[in-house]
Amino acid sequence: MRILTLKKVIAVSLLLTLFLGWVILISVMVGSVRVDPRQSLSILLRYVLSLKPTEHEMEETIILSLRLPRALLAGLVGAGLSVSGTIFQALLRNPLADPYILGVSSGSAVGAIIALLLGLSAYSFGLPLASFAGALITIALVFYFGRQGGRVHPNILLLAGVITGSFLSAIIMFFLSISQKEELHTIIFWLMGDFSFANPRSLIIILPYFGVGFSMLYWKSRQLNLILSGEENALQLGVEVERLKILSYLCASLITAASVSLCGLIGFVGLIIPHAARLLFGPDHRLLLPASALIGASFLIACDSLARTILAPVELPVGVITAAFGGPFFIYLLRRRKVVKTL
Amino acid sequence: MIDSFFDFFLTLALPHGRGRGRTAFSHPGGKGRGCLLMLCMLILFAPSLSYSSTLRLKDEVGREVVFPFPPKRIVSLAPNITEILFCLGLDEEVVGVSIHCNYPEKVKSRVRVGSYISIDFERVISLKPDLILATGAGNPKEVVERFNTLGFPTYVIFPKRFDGVLQSIRHIGQVVGKEKDALRVIESMNQRRERIVHLTGGLSRPKVFLQVGDSPIVTVGRGSFGDDLIRLAGGENVAGREREMYPRLGREDILKRSPEVILISSMNPNGDYERIFREWERWKMIPAVKQGRIHLINSDLIDRPSPRIIDGLEEMARLLHPETFKK
Repeated sequence: MRILTLKKVIAVSLLLTLFLGWVILISVMVGSVRVDPRQSLSILLRYVLSLKPTEHEMEETIILSLRLPRALLAGLVGAGLSVSGTIFQALLRNPLADPYILGVSSGSAVGAIIALLLGLSAYSFGLPLASFAGALITIALVFYFGRQGGRVHPNILLLAGVITGSFLSAIIMFFLSISQKEELHTIIFWLMGDFSFANPRSLIIILPYFGVGFSMLYWKSRQLNLILSGEENALQLGVEVERLKILSYLCASLITAASVSLCGLIGFVGLIIPHAARLLFGPDHRLLLPASALIGASFLIACDSLARTILAPVELPVGVITAAFGGPFFIYLLRRRKVVKTL
Repeated sequence: MIDSFFDFFLTLALPHGRGRGRTAFSHPGGKGRGCLLMLCMLILFAPSLSYSSTLRLKDEVGREVVFPFPPKRIVSLAPNITEILFCLGLDEEVVGVSIHCNYPEKVKSRVRVGSYISIDFERVISLKPDLILATGAGNPKEVVERFNTLGFPTYVIFPKRFDGVLQSIRHIGQVVGKEKDALRVIESMNQRRERIVHLTGGLSRPKVFLQVGDSPIVTVGRGSFGDDLIRLAGGENVAGREREMYPRLGREDILKRSPEVILISSMNPNGDYERIFREWERWKMIPAVKQGRIHLINSDLIDRPSPRIIDGLEEMARLLHPETFKK
């Protein structure tokens, strides 16, 4: 394996950031209403440079109040889910792990349903707060069940998470089948993932979770590498393995909880992007974490742009697109890797 | 200074002719002409866009709505609202409708802005509406809130029961400046209802099961439009005491309640009614089955709180009391 240099990390990150910027630009230019690309660009640039706005009020609302916040939110969520998926795969040493595997999603769905049934959704942040609370409780429970003798065993944690998740899914099914409240229909849309209500406030809410979580994880990325080469080994090299595991579990779970409670369940991103990044750039977390964050962001923005345009005026759930495009692409990556190996 | 630099940047970044439509703004040096054009357009369209005033009203869910009156560009987010608007004589004013709107024929030419829940906000904004009409029974609160923050006045109706429909028609009449037409529509609906109630008053009331969903079997409970219609049409809803608006009943339960008439709402146009009919045929102990009183009824007429609900009522009365309404 070639040695990873800082130069390479910066070069790859820069390249992927450029790509992300390009994806955001495209995403802001497409939509069910045609806005001249030059005009979109000028509105965007004027906004970024905080120049006086143009006279095109309608186009400005569409681009600055609808498309831009939405693209940014999709980007943050995509980056968050990919990073948290990367961490869960490393922490649980399981290639099938994704951000939702430990039941965070079911917990936050239960929180959201309870909020709807109690009528808390009338308050503007009732729903996301309740679902965030549900996610937090689940994170704590799974952690409590999954630790034995003061140690986190990957397999026990995994089992605890999966079982808690199924138990909570049973509760969701129960509420969905007995309740007559029309509002529960929103839950179904929410379960499929929805960015349509993105606004600057949701961006401000989710940014700290992602920012702090990512920085912590990146700060520990060298130690994460050591853990993957064996816990004994890492211990001997002076890594506080248990603390590191707890920290990474908490960071990854909190990122997931924040994104689920705002945008619902967006499947597939957190599973395939980490693998794709690993196949492309190798298993070193110092490169893997920023790479999967940037690829995840670009991927989800692209998928969301498709979801809101192909069948307009009706929007597809973004999960449909992530699975439809992510699956085949991932298979392609797997196959190509195989070919390279056999050579 | 920055401005001209910016324009310069634009010329560099995007060579001429690349973007398809050249707008006044993005054409460097064309700014003056653009302004002139805008001014001309403003003068040209000024008379057609003048409002006599703005109106401040409380909507049916208690929100305060301020909008130019009378509204000239209306987007309707629900089929019953669309029907009410056209019934009040609006036409050109309805610029956008939901994908569920299928009546009257004219809605076919209107821009579709999405379903109840999933709305294409971009498309609504591009229609430049001065008023959006939404329903509390269907459009989520988040949608209404969103339009509010985007600066589009949104009036919400929330009709409950038959009388609620009349009230919503009156409210929409006020909102769009067609109060007289609204009162006329309500008057005629009231008369037709009185006639039905009068004609069925002395008759025996058959027990009715109104099926609005198949697998699971869903019917109408207390407080729903269907329940109201059955009562007004001179029937007795076998699920009328259920507290849920749309209760799910098992087949056993329905057998026990032994309905004398079964009405099947045509929930979707491609519905497999033959199969549903055959399914009922197997239960000969139900009076309705024994006497062959299983009928299909157009769901748009009975569960859509629009002016056509009166047609639904008359249709239902015909099915419940065929001998009285023979002619």
